[in-house]
Amino acid sequence: MNRTVLLVGVFIAAALVVVLFFGLGKDPQAIDSPLIGRPAPNFALREVGTGRTISLDEFKGRPVVLNFWATWCGPCWEEHPTLVANARAMQPGVQFLGVVFQDNEDKIQKFLRDRGHAYPTVVDDAGKTAIAYGVGGVPETFFLDKTGKVVAKYTGPLDTGLLQANLQKAVQQ
Amino acid sequence: MKNLAVLALCIVATISIGAQTTTQAPDAQMFVGPPQGQPITGDVLDAKTAEVSALLRCPVCQGMSVADSPSEMAVNMKHQVHALLARGYTQEQILQYFERSYGQFVLLKPKFQGVNTLVWVLPILAIAIGVVVVVSKMKKLEQPAPTTDDREPITDPYLDEVRQLVGDKK
Repeated sequence: MNRTVLLVGVFIAAALVVVLFFGLGKDPQAIDSPLIGRPAPNFALREVGTGRTISLDEFKGRPVVLNFWATWCGPCWEEHPTLVANARAMQPGVQFLGVVFQDNEDKIQKFLRDRGHAYPTVVDDAGKTAIAYGVGGVPETFFLDKTGKVVAKYTGPLDTGLLQANLQKAVQQ
Repeated sequence: MKNLAVLALCIVATISIGAQTTTQAPDAQMFVGPPQGQPITGDVLDAKTAEVSALLRCPVCQGMSVADSPSEMAVNMKHQVHALLARGYTQEQILQYFERSYGQFVLLKPKFQGVNTLVWVLPILAIAIGVVVVVSKMKKLEQPAPTTDDREPITDPYLDEVRQLVGDKK
């Protein structure tokens, strides 16, 4: 009996160690998106500054970097220069598009004026687009291939290496 | 004639402004099809909104439901639940819609499928094993302890000598 109890104990402890080993190494904010491998939900939102309606479908035929952000988000400030620099280098072969939610249009315009901009930014007024994309926090970036399919998602501020590694998946499709 | 021209110009301007500002967020219909229930209103709608929101995890909080969280994200999600119920979407369709965006993470009550099955099965299994162990231990305790008569006689030359000296015939 003691031997059996010992074996069961060792088995349970080993299972716990395995679960903790894999679980603790994960970033709790990095949740796999169920959208990966599926067509990106289309939207038509108002562009900051011009008021023009921009539809995601307009960009079919080239990879898209779809960045959800907000001016109140510190990491978004951090990644903004990376996005602008890469957009300047890659567009029009790759389309960059910013989606701002839970924010104020005046603040967005000031942010873009002060920190530069190289691609359109649209406003998600009631956060419905963010919800449809499963956005939990900002910044979150989706990478779409030229057919409009989501191929990757990154949660957190991007640097050039991360951006290009994820974009590579979109270009390869 | 002049008035007509101005009117036409106004109509064209209104249409073009309207066309410019028509925005459209992704609709639940893209994810789960048309509503399968009946639209609801009033107190029933509010009560059902609270009920469904309580089943959804707030994605920006620590273990809070959409119903309980005051965060803007949770409030937006609650508004969406409200709007979908008002359009006739069923609870299952709404949960499915959020699951298609956020994954099973958004469901506070995990589904009985795949790895999630362990969440439901393991506690029951652990209790069952515990009961079996306790019952078997109790059964052992209930068995009478062996009496001295049942024991094997001790054979020891020294004891034999002692027994002979005290006249024990055993």
